[in-house]
Parts: sequence; structure tokens; C-alpha cells
Amino acid sequence: MNRQVFWEKLKSTLHNTWEFIVLFHHGTFVDKRMAVVRKEAFDINDNLMLLLFGDYLGVPNPMSYYMLELLPYVANDLEPWERRIQNRKFLIAEKAAQYDFD
Amino acid sequence: MRRFTFFGGKGGTGKTSCAAAYALSLASKGTRTLVVSTDPAHSLADAFGKPIGFETALLRENLWGLEIDAEVEAKKYMKVIQEKVLDLVSAAIVEEIKRQIEIAYMSPGAEEAAIFDKFVELMESAGTTYDSIVFDTAPTGHTLRLLTLPEILETWIEHLIEKRRKAMHLMKMAARYDSVLADKIKEDPIIETLSARKEKFALARRYLTDSALSGFFFVLNAEKLPILETARAVELLGKHGVHVGGMVINKVIPPEAGAFFEKRRSAQEGYLADINSRFSSFVRVELPLLDSDIQGVEQLEMMVPLLGALDASGE
Repeated sequence: MNRQVFWEKLKSTLHNTWEFIVLFHHGTFVDKRMAVVRKEAFDINDNLMLLLFGDYLGVPNPMSYYMLELLPYVANDLEPWERRIQNRKFLIAEKAAQYDFD
Repeated sequence: MRRFTFFGGKGGTGKTSCAAAYALSLASKGTRTLVVSTDPAHSLADAFGKPIGFETALLRENLWGLEIDAEVEAKKYMKVIQEKVLDLVSAAIVEEIKRQIEIAYMSPGAEEAAIFDKFVELMESAGTTYDSIVFDTAPTGHTLRLLTLPEILETWIEHLIEKRRKAMHLMKMAARYDSVLADKIKEDPIIETLSARKEKFALARRYLTDSALSGFFFVLNAEKLPILETARAVELLGKHGVHVGGMVINKVIPPEAGAFFEKRRSAQEGYLADINSRFSSFVRVELPLLDSDIQGVEQLEMMVPLLGALDASGE
């Protein structure tokens, strides 16, 4: 009986330790890198939006008429995008922030 | 048989009459023909002496007419989008989106784009609904823009697709540890929509640059300015790969015109020689100046036998 309890305990300790190791590595190596990738992806997308709907900000677009058909799919993101893109001030600072120099 | 025939040239040279007469000649041979005006200032109905609108109207057996109305087409397009918006977007921002659509509608280029859309739609219907489509185009500048639009826009849209692909690729990488994001990007309507649009441009380009399908005819007068403009337009179309079928030299003053025209006629001889040397590689048809203007189907029919030579160039 005692032996079984011991094994159970060992198993859960090992399990917890393994989980800790996984999370530790994920947090230390993976997550941060993925956050960079994610940020980069969203930045590219924001830039693409600027090409698609630049005329809302006063940048003329030769095809704003054709871009209308994309509107239903991006409409929900349009207002936050406008806010983001208008708040961009220092491109270098923005890039530097991604790489976590502190 | 050529599926798409374009008549273009400087304003006032007689494009509409030539297009109308050519369409009549096709229809009388039993070809189901649609004659379309892409000029925002339509005069096709005036040439036929019958009302033609933005919906196809039967003019006589095997012959239909249509005058593209940019405003109507743009409204149709916007209505489809508005319905889609209502389906996909939360009610709170619908009003804002409606405003954006209004802005795009007023923006420069919208009319052009609307005409182009209808133009492609018509080209797609040729071969099934109609055997042949005759386009009565707007004066040269407007038309060249219409015909070269697909090439320019195709490149542009390709870059957009490329950018979106890159963003999606990165997002997929990031989504490996993020199931919420992974669900969001499973399918991408933006790439789909852009690709469909690109496909449309590519199709228009394929049609326009296929010399077995399309032919462009210039209508010009034996005068200095139309000749120079035509020469420039021929060069530009060549650069974009659009096949030039031939020239119609309209309003040629006949020898029996009398003393008043003698001087003009001798100047015209020089211009005709110029045309023949400049455009020697194309089929050329001369139409005489008439003592009255051409109006209505009966008078157009008198022009039909004279335009017969244009058919030969297609084969």
C-alpha cells in the first residue's frame, strides 16, 4: 500500500517537474520569439491595409473602387487599424521594442 | 470570326457610325451581335435612331445594343457589397462602413472602374449569349486607358497578394502555440477576393491580346491631327500587345465634290499618301464624305458593303 502511494506521488512530481520544464522553455525561448513573429505579421498586415485603404487617411489609391469588395472582411478591424496607424511615431523605436533590449 | 471588334479614334471621326454599320453587317449575316458603347457620352442610340439604354435592347434580328452607364453599374456593385457588409459586420459600425462606401463611390477612377467591370462581364458573355461584340469606344485617350488598365492593375494586385501571403505565413508560424489565432486564419477571404479580382484582369488581358479574338480598328480622317494621334495610339497598343486590325479612313472628299473643295482635296491627297505609307501593314478602308449625315438603320446599311474589307483582316 505504502509503495503505491509513493509511486503515485513520484509520478505527479515528475509530471509537474516536466510541465515546469516545458513551460519554462516555452516562456524563455519560444514565446518571446513567437511574439516577435506575431508582431511582425500584424505589422505587415497593417501596412497592407495602408495600401488597400490608404484613401481613408488621405493617401490616394488608384483602385479604391475595387478595394470596396474587401471591406466586409476587414470592416471590424478598420477602426482599430486607423488608430494604430495614426499613432505610429518612431519606426525605429517600434522595431527596437520588438527585440526587448532591456 | 473575330469575337471582339473595337472601333476607336479621335473624337468626331465617325467611330459610332462605323461601329453601328459594322454591327449591322455582322447581324445581317446571321451572327448574334451586340454593339456596345463604352463612351460616357453615348451616341449609339442617335446613330440607330432608336432608344438604347443601360440594359441590352433588341435593335433588329440578331442585333442588340447597349450603352454602359457607369453610375448604374457602380450602384449595383455597391449594393452587393452593402448586403455583404450587413451579413458580416456588427451593427455598430455599419453606418461608418456605409459612409466609406459612399466616399469610394465619389473617388476619382470609380466611373472608369465601373465601366471596366461591365466591359469584362460582357466579354465573358461573348461566345454563349452573343457570337460577336462590337465596341464603340470613347475617344482615344479614354479607351487606351481602358484597354491598358488590366496590365497595370494586375501587377499592382499581385504585389498586394504577395504581401498578404507573407503576413499570413508569419501568422501561421505564430499560431502554432496560439489556438485562437489559428482558428482566425484558417481561411483567408482577402487573398480569395484579391485572387478573384486578379483573375478577372488576367482574363481581360488574355482576350484583348489574343489577335484571333480581338481586333482594334481606328477611324480617322485624312487630316493631320487624327493621323498623328492614330500613329501614337497604334504604337501604344502594340506595346501592350493589343492587335490592331485596320484603319477606316472616313469622310474622304470625292473628286466630284466641286470647286469649293478643290484645295482641300489636294491637301487630302497628301494626307492619304501619308496614311498609306504610315499604316501600310494594316487593312485600310476608305469611306467617302456624304452630302448628308448618316442617321438611322437604312442609311447605316448603305455603309455596310464598304466595310466588308474589315472582315478579311480577322482571318
